[in-house]
Amino acid sequence: MEWITRLIEGTQLFFVSLNQTWLQRALFAAVLIGILSSLIGVFVILRGYVFMGEAIAHSAFAGAALALVIGVDPLVVILIFGLISAISIGAVNEKKVMRDEVIIGVFFSFTMALAIFFIGLLPSYSTNVESILFGRVLLITKLNFDLLIIFTIIIVGMILLLEKEFYMITFDSELAQAMGIPVKIMDYVFLIMVALAIDVSLNAIGALLVFAFLVTPAAAAYQWTYRLEKMMALSVIIGVFSSVGGLFLSFVFDLPSGATMVMLVTTIFFVSFALSPKRKAGTLECPTCKEAFELEPHSPKESGIITEPHVHADGRIILLSDKEKIPLPSDYPLLPENEQTPDNNKKEKQRRA
Amino acid sequence: MSIEKIHDWPKEKPIIEIRDLVVTYQDTLALYGINLDIYPGEIIGICGPNGAGKTTLLKAILGLVKPYRGTIKVYGHPIETKGNLFKKQYFQIGYVPQLKAIDKNFPALVKDVVMMGRYPKIGLFKRPNKKDWEIVDEALKAIDMYYMRNRPIGHLSGGQQQKVFIARALALEPSILLLDEPTAALDFRMTASIMQLLRKLRDEKHMTIVSIHHDLRLLKENSTRIVCLNKSIVWTGPPDDPELDNVLRKVYPLPTI
Repeated sequence: MEWITRLIEGTQLFFVSLNQTWLQRALFAAVLIGILSSLIGVFVILRGYVFMGEAIAHSAFAGAALALVIGVDPLVVILIFGLISAISIGAVNEKKVMRDEVIIGVFFSFTMALAIFFIGLLPSYSTNVESILFGRVLLITKLNFDLLIIFTIIIVGMILLLEKEFYMITFDSELAQAMGIPVKIMDYVFLIMVALAIDVSLNAIGALLVFAFLVTPAAAAYQWTYRLEKMMALSVIIGVFSSVGGLFLSFVFDLPSGATMVMLVTTIFFVSFALSPKRKAGTLECPTCKEAFELEPHSPKESGIITEPHVHADGRIILLSDKEKIPLPSDYPLLPENEQTPDNNKKEKQRRA
Repeated sequence: MSIEKIHDWPKEKPIIEIRDLVVTYQDTLALYGINLDIYPGEIIGICGPNGAGKTTLLKAILGLVKPYRGTIKVYGHPIETKGNLFKKQYFQIGYVPQLKAIDKNFPALVKDVVMMGRYPKIGLFKRPNKKDWEIVDEALKAIDMYYMRNRPIGHLSGGQQQKVFIARALALEPSILLLDEPTAALDFRMTASIMQLLRKLRDEKHMTIVSIHHDLRLLKENSTRIVCLNKSIVWTGPPDDPELDNVLRKVYPLPTI
């Protein structure tokens, strides 16, 4: 029962410390990271840029290691490395010489090697390395915090303003281009936004885990809905909940903050995955006949209403719901009520006899 | 170009002018020496063997491929190959691409996909309003898919998706419609009604339609002019021209296997 007393004491300490600037800052940073990463993550997933984001995250780690070697503020070097890798990955992706995963694989290992190389140059394995690798949201610097606020406003604003263009590109980039959307430029802008979001979150969550916040909340939200707006909103809710919750838990039980956040969000993902209506057969009440019937897997449960004519067990075709009177296609096969479909097996049996 | 001007476009002036078009992909020559004028109200049927450059020609008109040489003008304006956020000339071209695989769980309902076709008309930074949704509903009704509007797009069959993409092109209310094998996945009834719809669009909304077909019977019955393509334009003329059969025999050689 030791942990319960610890939970109570820790919670008390947490709320007592709430008037302290460092905790307020960490809390606010957690909220911002939750919003920023999980919102941009929706488009990372839909566009299929998961692996590219991962490569950018690791290049940022290399930047941080280099900064420790030359002894400057890591954030500056991280930002430079992030931008360089975003642009170079974009360029390689645009040329389409090979499947992008091959090139990202090469790039990804290279940045990892670079990071380890820089760490090797350090005279001793310092705690700084550890804090970059694993993140300390409580130790977030003023500069990092300010940049986090600025980038969150800019990037969230851009995503909300250009939402439909990004959506179009993720669905069909060729058609988007035919409609006059500058797909290539927007891809670069997007990769740079991903890089910036990773770079400002790096110190709080840690280089190894920062990418989880770009993918996992969006992946969890993806399990629940077929609408973009809902997916975005859900992703942000999951992201903020787990970053703030992770901060709280890590404070109370004195755990590494980044790891706690990521474990929390991953738990949410697995729960969503298991409960996803997209993979489950469900039952819906038929609005016309008030009869519950089985849905095939992948049915749009969230649309909540059967808008399509469907066949019942007795062979009747149910037409429309009372809520939405839908004109049927002119040549849709309708059966009068009460009339049974002919039993084809019986007919064939008779014929054979 | 304003919409009023497009309505006043004279009948004897070509809407699409292609001059000396050459398109290359790395080491292959996709199209060469294409000279083609497309007039308002025409239904152009493009035919040709596999790899003849049919899709490339449509993509060139849309500005999706960069010509190696030559010019394409749409409504008298040279097309841009660089994407320019919702450039006005693109307001007028609806495009139905070839069918391709869609992620089964992609977060988009049928009506969302059709709304995407409307985006250029909505404009930058704006959101669809009630009128836009009405136009989407109308486009879905035109192809008998209204009752499916709340279904996720990935759950539809190939033919149903193709119908949705036709609705998406219609939602733009274009004056030019480019279709790349629009009936490849459709059953014969649906094919017939899509063809009827295309004729109706031309008669009532004065659309100019360019469409690729592999079915030669369909091509002959539903085009006002046929363009036979094999890297360059082999022949062009009305579908009832007696010369056409000879041309087709040359373009599609007898099978050797």
